[in-house]
Amino acid sequence: MRLIGTCFLSARGLMMDGKLICQFSDENWLKEAYGMLQVDYPKFYKMDNLSKMAFICTEQLKTTGYFENLSDEEMALIFANSCASQHTDMKFIHSYTEQSNPSPSLFVYTLPNIVTGELAIRNKWYGSNCFYILPTFDANFFVNKLQHLKEEDGNFCLCGWVESKLDATGVIELEESFLFLVSLNEIDKEGSLINQLQETLTDYRNFKI
Amino acid sequence: MSNLKETLKAQIIEQLSLEDLNPADIQDDAPLFGGDGLGLDSIDALEFIVLLETHYGIRIADPSQGREIFYSVNTLADYIEKNK
Repeated sequence: MRLIGTCFLSARGLMMDGKLICQFSDENWLKEAYGMLQVDYPKFYKMDNLSKMAFICTEQLKTTGYFENLSDEEMALIFANSCASQHTDMKFIHSYTEQSNPSPSLFVYTLPNIVTGELAIRNKWYGSNCFYILPTFDANFFVNKLQHLKEEDGNFCLCGWVESKLDATGVIELEESFLFLVSLNEIDKEGSLINQLQETLTDYRNFKI
Repeated sequence: MSNLKETLKAQIIEQLSLEDLNPADIQDDAPLFGGDGLGLDSIDALEFIVLLETHYGIRIADPSQGREIFYSVNTLADYIEKNK
């Protein structure tokens, strides 16, 4: 298996393949990132923050041409986080407890696997897709799942750790999105994929570019 | 009636998170759903039902009427005027 590309998004900025793409200037950084992409996809505004972050990272990776010439069934999606759809869950609860107005469009995002669904719809990726809940980012877990995909004759997999975490008072504590594209049938000459993933994420989180 | 239509357009934009639109972008007689309209979907139709109930106290008795009621801003405003 070979790591083809990586992308990281947080309130600090957008980075891809170890390079800074842009830094953000205000609290509406998701909207700023979307505008920077110059993509016309009005449905973006209806997404929750998890889906928005994954969408932005995917669109940024697409600018490299990594996804060209893929058939619909070739791309699998393996995503995970530690908080599921916590942020959207709380917004939905608020919509009917405080506003007496349960929102259907919020409700559809109260399961984190809608993230992979949004990416599949946007890009017509009809391979396997799943969303796991883990205590923390676990490169070993992802590589284990990738190995299973490879054994099932998979070709490529876009993986993601996409988190929107609230603190005890309900304020956003952390939002980040780390996506990485893996070719399942190429040999990695750069050493352990597990180590690469862990080091890459650590560097991105430390804004080391 | 024109005030109601302008108010409706602002409410539609807010309720459906159509952040890339202004009220002036929504024509009174343009279809709201489908490829020729604003590209709204079935979830947005549910949001319209919530909008009617929340802002105008109108509950649609027959859901099959939804397609006709939510066709455009004009049809929506007509329905509100007749049922408020």
